[in-house]
Amino acid sequence: MTVSRAPEAVALDVVEQSGNRMVLSMGPQHPSTHGVLQVITEIDGETVTKASPEIGYLHTGIEKSAENLFWSQASTVIERMDYLSPLTNALCYYLAVEQLLGPDAAVPPRAQAIRVLLAELSRIASHCVWLGTGGIDLGALTGFFYCFDLRERILDLFEASGGARMHPNYLRVGGLAQDLPDGFLGRLDAVIEMYEPRMRDVRRLLQKNPILQDRMIDIGIITAGEAVNWGLTGPCLRATGIAYDVRRAFPYSGYENYEFDVITRSEGDAYARFLVRLDEMDEAMRIIRQVRKVLDDPGPVQSPDTKFSPPPKETIALSMEALIHHFKLVSESFRVPPGDVYAAVEGPRGELGYYVVSNGDNRPWRVRTRPPSMYNLQVLKKIAVGELIADMVVMIGSLDPVFGEVDR
Amino acid sequence: MPSSQAPPAGATALDPTAVRPDIADARIVRVTPAEIRATLEGLRTDGFTMLLDLGAVDYLTREPARFDVVYHLLRLPSQPATVAEIGTPERVRVLCGVPSDAVAVPTVSDLWESADWAEREVFDLFGIRFDGHPDLRRIQMPDDWEGHPLRKDYPLRGVARERTPRPSFALKSNVAAGTPASGRTAAALQKQIAEVRRAIDGHAAPDGKER
Repeated sequence: MTVSRAPEAVALDVVEQSGNRMVLSMGPQHPSTHGVLQVITEIDGETVTKASPEIGYLHTGIEKSAENLFWSQASTVIERMDYLSPLTNALCYYLAVEQLLGPDAAVPPRAQAIRVLLAELSRIASHCVWLGTGGIDLGALTGFFYCFDLRERILDLFEASGGARMHPNYLRVGGLAQDLPDGFLGRLDAVIEMYEPRMRDVRRLLQKNPILQDRMIDIGIITAGEAVNWGLTGPCLRATGIAYDVRRAFPYSGYENYEFDVITRSEGDAYARFLVRLDEMDEAMRIIRQVRKVLDDPGPVQSPDTKFSPPPKETIALSMEALIHHFKLVSESFRVPPGDVYAAVEGPRGELGYYVVSNGDNRPWRVRTRPPSMYNLQVLKKIAVGELIADMVVMIGSLDPVFGEVDR
Repeated sequence: MPSSQAPPAGATALDPTAVRPDIADARIVRVTPAEIRATLEGLRTDGFTMLLDLGAVDYLTREPARFDVVYHLLRLPSQPATVAEIGTPERVRVLCGVPSDAVAVPTVSDLWESADWAEREVFDLFGIRFDGHPDLRRIQMPDDWEGHPLRKDYPLRGVARERTPRPSFALKSNVAAGTPASGRTAAALQKQIAEVRRAIDGHAAPDGKER
């Protein structure tokens, strides 16, 4: 690969050959950059005087690929953006497509409940990665295993429902690929049961840990005004005291039926973001417990309109129309009426949005992602200045970027 | 021969916002590049404090404005606020049509810090210039990349390029003799290993064959 990101060119720009100053290129292979982030840092002694994050090392052209796939296929690549919560991406994309399709694509209540369940499980699984690796960044190795064990159980649930652990591709336009399998609810109950004692352990290990507190408190402070101006959303915004949560502000998939609190803090530092995410996991579990009660009632999980949802398998051998619809769906997918729409969900990292444009064809004309990680990461330019170089890993970790999404 | 991405059959240069008044996801404002600064400044003083996203769409055959630069704004308070105070904040979507012969719009990175990387990305992937941007470099693609991949006339798998010439076999073996990368075959390596073994054992194999 001859990728010339020309770090020299950037370095010449920022370097100042006087006194104690030097330029340090951190990443893109540094373990604490959570992927492939390069931060070209100008330091004076141990103090950061300028930080220029360089992204794009994981650019895979997902938006371009999505334009060249059928509406139903595009979610396969879209799930690869935020690979720590793929279902959230698929959910947001399908919400946009369903709005374009109109009321025919209305999602049955049971499918909505399952979508909420999986979105909240994704949130917990994603925060488990953040918490575990964030602890490792600061030298706390034990918490990692506690978090990843919990995440494994959740990935097992994804595997049971969609067939794959990381990218289940379980959602469809108008509902889900199929209903939850037998025995799923029992395994879900087991996860719900293990969650509380496990999080008690994790909190004991990490939250009250004086070393971690020393490393995180008053590091990377963002004020409310700055957060809004830099376009931060999610835990990074709520850690500054602004209780903006898409689930509350623009409820989707039936979130208005569930009780949960929007967690905020006022300090705006790395520890505040840490606590917001921890408490958010508990709120996610609170939602999951409420969804669990609904899941005992059976019901359809797919819109009955066979123009875009595949007809049930048992009808294909018996009905000519079903066979034709199935053939059309597989060979040329469905068409979406022209229009543009912006749909947003509250992902683990903030407001994840999809601006989808259709020209009436069977492929999307444009799929633009609003990547919360990218906007959250950008603020590193601001918060790193004046901090110690050793705290850089704390700040990157506290912003929780996922580079599949930053670079797409 | 690069497979150019043909516009799909039935691709019309639609103004999508004119087609779907039934989707009320945001208030939609349509402006020209000359008006965009004033419009966005006005919205910002009006309370749309957050520039959520800035993207672009290439309509390829649409005249006169081939591109749309799309700004998503959100009305949020700039100080700590509760869920009740925020309620359902207003969204506004500003669509700025950009003609293909003057592919530039004024920057808003001085109004919103969040516009910095977003404008660089649109510049990188669509080739739309943002006049006044302090650091308008490519952000996703390599700095020496040619073309703008998200344009509709850019082929899906990229334009055909000459492959980087690889060193020939003869050259390779001159690079570092004695390392596995020097291009020797596995058989030659095994032979050398056998020789070393013989030297250690202090005797050659009776039949002269390698073990």
